[in-house]
Amino acid sequence: MKRKKILGSHVKRLLSGVAIHGRRHLNEVETDLLQTELLLEEAIDKLTSSFMAIHSAVGARQEAIDRLLAGEKPSAEDSAKLSDMSGEIGQHVNVAITSMQFQDMTSQLIDRTLRRVAGLREFLGTLSEHGAEIAPETDSEEIVERLGKVSMALAIQSLELRSMLRKSVDQHHLESGDIELF
Amino acid sequence: MAKTILAVDDSSSLRQMVAFSLKAAGYNVVEAVDGQDGLEKAKLQSVDLVLTDQNMPRMDGLALIKTLRTLPNYAKTPILMLTTESSDEMKAKGRAAGANGWLVKPFDPQRLIEVVKKVIG
Repeated sequence: MKRKKILGSHVKRLLSGVAIHGRRHLNEVETDLLQTELLLEEAIDKLTSSFMAIHSAVGARQEAIDRLLAGEKPSAEDSAKLSDMSGEIGQHVNVAITSMQFQDMTSQLIDRTLRRVAGLREFLGTLSEHGAEIAPETDSEEIVERLGKVSMALAIQSLELRSMLRKSVDQHHLESGDIELF
Repeated sequence: MAKTILAVDDSSSLRQMVAFSLKAAGYNVVEAVDGQDGLEKAKLQSVDLVLTDQNMPRMDGLALIKTLRTLPNYAKTPILMLTTESSDEMKAKGRAAGANGWLVKPFDPQRLIEVVKKVIG
């Protein structure tokens, strides 16, 4: 193969490697950020509803207590309401506790994104380092050799980055998870 | 006498929520910030159940279970995983390591208490 063609194929291989690697990681970053957004939105919605419901239940309980303190005889309805209120508040608190776990999930997704971004920065650093070693007067054989080395280094870095970023959060909603006893 | 549960998780908010839920149901709760801390606390005092996360710094949940199972005091103590991990592959690893159950986060306090009651009463 002519020297020019060899050089061209190495440049093509390098550019396509950078594009594939970059696109793959950026797609994952986008997916993780969208998942984070979904979890945050749902958490805020559910927490807002829970806190409003707790506020409303506590207010209703206080009204009933005030009537009792004022010497009113509790109606059958009041008695039933008072005895149900603890359970009602407890249910809202449980929903709030389930929703608050968004922090655990989103922090794992954000951590994964940060490690991926750091990996991409290192990847670009490798590209820059090798690029700096190529001077205008460098002959084409040496350029071919350097391009081969940088392609290999980037392929290894890409594999390493993918292997250390296993996804541990697949949840897209804040519903109580599965339970399995062995 | 109230039973004691060792709750191991590197997320402080998660630990607080687990502790809040279990204490409300009458259990004593000892908290640990990762597997290593959990192992040290398990050696210091006897616990009736271990509830552990999987992905943690220093020592993960599977390593904690494997190590606990080598200790005579913890050969038969119930150990439940409470983690975001939900794949069958991870559950199989947990089972092989000696876990007695797998709870996928987020947890509902009522369901958590029901499971704990079922396991240790």
